[in-house]
Amino acid sequence: MSTVPAPEPSPTPTPTDTRSAPAEVVFAASGLHKSYGGIHALQGASIEIRRGEVHGLLGENGSGKSTLLKIVSGQVQPTKGHLALDGLRVAFPDTHSALTAGIVTINQETSLVPDLSVTENVLLGRRLVRRRGGVDWKATHRRAREILERLQLDLDPHRQVWRLRPDQQQMVEIARAVSMDARILILDEPTSSLTDDEVEAVLRVVRQLSEEDVATIFVSHRMKEVFSLVHSVTVLRDGKSVGAGAVEEFDERRLVELMVGKELETPTASEKRHELRGRSVLRLRGMSVAGRLEGVDLDVAAGEIVGLAGLVGAGRSELLSAAFGVEPHATGTVEVDGVAIEQTGPVEAMRRGLAYVPSDRKLLGLVLGMGVKENLVLARNASIARWRTVRSRAEAEQAGALISELGVTATDPSAPVATLSGGNQQKVLFGKWLSTRPKVLLLDEPTRGVDVGAKAEIYRLLTRSREAGLSILISSSETSELLLLCDRVLVMFQGRIVASLAEDAATEARITHLATGGD
Amino acid sequence: MAVNTRIPGQVGRLGDLIGSVRRAGQTSRFVGVLALLVVMFGFFAVTEGTFLSSGNINQLLTSMAIIFLVSIGMTFVMLSEGFDLSVGATVAFTGIAFGQLFDAAGLTLVPAALCAVAAGTAVGILNGVLIGRSGLSFLVVTLGTSVLIQGVLNLWSEAKTISVTSPTLDTLAFGKLFGIPIPVWIMALVYAGSLYVLRKTYFGRDVYAVGGNADAARLSGIKVVRTIVAVYVIAAFLAALAGILQVARVGAASPLVGATLVFDAAAAVLLGGTSLAGGIGGVTGTMVGVLFLGVLQNGLSVSGVESYWQQVVTGIILIIVVAADRAQREGWSSIGIPLHRRSRRTHDKEPAS
Repeated sequence: MSTVPAPEPSPTPTPTDTRSAPAEVVFAASGLHKSYGGIHALQGASIEIRRGEVHGLLGENGSGKSTLLKIVSGQVQPTKGHLALDGLRVAFPDTHSALTAGIVTINQETSLVPDLSVTENVLLGRRLVRRRGGVDWKATHRRAREILERLQLDLDPHRQVWRLRPDQQQMVEIARAVSMDARILILDEPTSSLTDDEVEAVLRVVRQLSEEDVATIFVSHRMKEVFSLVHSVTVLRDGKSVGAGAVEEFDERRLVELMVGKELETPTASEKRHELRGRSVLRLRGMSVAGRLEGVDLDVAAGEIVGLAGLVGAGRSELLSAAFGVEPHATGTVEVDGVAIEQTGPVEAMRRGLAYVPSDRKLLGLVLGMGVKENLVLARNASIARWRTVRSRAEAEQAGALISELGVTATDPSAPVATLSGGNQQKVLFGKWLSTRPKVLLLDEPTRGVDVGAKAEIYRLLTRSREAGLSILISSSETSELLLLCDRVLVMFQGRIVASLAEDAATEARITHLATGGD
Repeated sequence: MAVNTRIPGQVGRLGDLIGSVRRAGQTSRFVGVLALLVVMFGFFAVTEGTFLSSGNINQLLTSMAIIFLVSIGMTFVMLSEGFDLSVGATVAFTGIAFGQLFDAAGLTLVPAALCAVAAGTAVGILNGVLIGRSGLSFLVVTLGTSVLIQGVLNLWSEAKTISVTSPTLDTLAFGKLFGIPIPVWIMALVYAGSLYVLRKTYFGRDVYAVGGNADAARLSGIKVVRTIVAVYVIAAFLAALAGILQVARVGAASPLVGATLVFDAAAAVLLGGTSLAGGIGGVTGTMVGVLFLGVLQNGLSVSGVESYWQQVVTGIILIIVVAADRAQREGWSSIGIPLHRRSRRTHDKEPAS
């Protein structure tokens, strides 16, 4: 840890600032190490939580945040290091023991039962007031209402949870944590799917809890929230704590620098909207999906690779699937070579020269039980009349050519795709689309879950496709990948493109800064 | 990007050999049941003298025809990751429609049969549209149409059996061509046709793709809705043919014939290695599954064993087959038998590239 908050009150406390009042450390994790096989998820991470504080836990994807939280909540055991509660060493061999100690985790996905009432969810599995073998509903609802009132939540205890807004559902989860006498609440990106107003409502409840001496570990990528809410922060990078202290000791720029490990450059002039290289092949105008994508305009020229950066939930995936015409309820116009695509749907999109590689290859990309060969020609042959006989020989030739072209390691082209490694599966997915001879490639997380070697081959493939004149739009969570491949990087935040960075202006720190809501 | 279309030269003999071994591995899903079938066949052949007589073999094969037709249709549906609970009712419905049109409405034989088959096939259109286009659950839809059709045919027939006799129908059910019973010819034709459709046409490939991963198929431009409608229509059409054949065999149309047919058909398809999860299996396995049920039933009855034992044995074998399949894929511990713990762990890893 580079900085530790001073135990004495700061010399010039403002009268309204309650943050500077020091409180004792209620929970500490120190020197945590965790390895999965040869991968070191944590190598010396520490965190200290004081009574009643809101503690921001920051770090990029893969920095070890989730592993740290899993250890704190008893889901995994550290290889090295220890935990202390109220200064006494503790171990959480399972989630139950962490709950008993008052550490309650609320994950990104809600764990509510949609068809049950607010009361039943708040008191789920416990604490229903019983009377003569039945449930005393009057008393039970009263108990739930007490908790809701304590949090100043105006929710009807009788209402079914699925009828609530997402932020209200979050609050029901928080109320449940309170009903378990939580001392430390872990909120893992509680606001990632909420609108601004909803975020504010959740933050208010967290502040309320803080006043009641319930500490919160708050994970968020949005800097604005961090600065308006937290009292102190811990920054993780590569599994280590690289910075910690009271939030006043940091500014936004410093935090981003700690997260990415590089210095943040000041924006330069070339960052202005970049001129197109030649004519636009893919032209998107006013692409919108209610609540997730707000009127995005975008052009990709022939032979250009454009990257989409942004947090998970910033609207990158929605933009790509809307461009391919498979995002339900999307609006906006898609033009290829200056001609608008009138009908939505994959068939029309393919006919007009679009190809779409979705992010989850197992869920959306490949038919795993089918052969490599059949998968490779699946899209290419989709327009042939279905009663026609499969032209096996021509198909084998096409597939063979693609397999050698892409460098797929498959002993037998008829073997199910499921038997291939992740990298080879991804190459098959690419081959499936390249064989349709597209003009535009839409790629969502093209290298997720593939090893380094396969990654390099996919990069080589993309560069070659660009040279052949394809227009490529890539969405990726790996900023370094975008910097390596792209002519331009567009940064998305909350459903909008907030910046267009030319190759020379795009840096990892700059992108992270913009993607977390900075300007 | 320019994709060159030259033939990859260096695959070679060894590659071909490995390929054929792999392919054999893929079809091995019904090998266990096939082995059991052979053992059972041998057992009955040795212990019961009459079992191998040509009369008995012909009887065995012709008795399978109805369940075979229904099972082939069910195979299409299950390959697309669906299930059709209404095939039994469709068989009965077609039979009653045939009986009513031929007997009461006074149509001649062929028009009556054609109309009845069309009526039966219409059930499949209804199923397919509700499941494929409206996106309703296949279990709910086919349960609904099953009950609905059963009700209609009970009303129509007043729950009575209708006698239907004609020399043409007798020939259909009991006649022979080149010494082989006509129902066996029908089975052979349907088997060959369905094998061709599934393995050699783009439609057949769509069925596997939709069953294997409907989202991926849709994104690849395959018309998923159309494929789903088609498999339910095929299932209903084959069930309707089975309905006509049933009337021909019995000489009467009964409203009750469909009751257990759907379960027998599902058992045959599952024994034949077609997965309930869709995308895996085929009609050859289904033929093995139907033969298995047929030989078991025939052998037991020749041996003078109470015929209900066939159900007991079928149930046990079915559970063993499904459990063994899962154990083979995911390790014995996945079905609660703590053997070969290691092998499971190696299964979880993806092979390195």
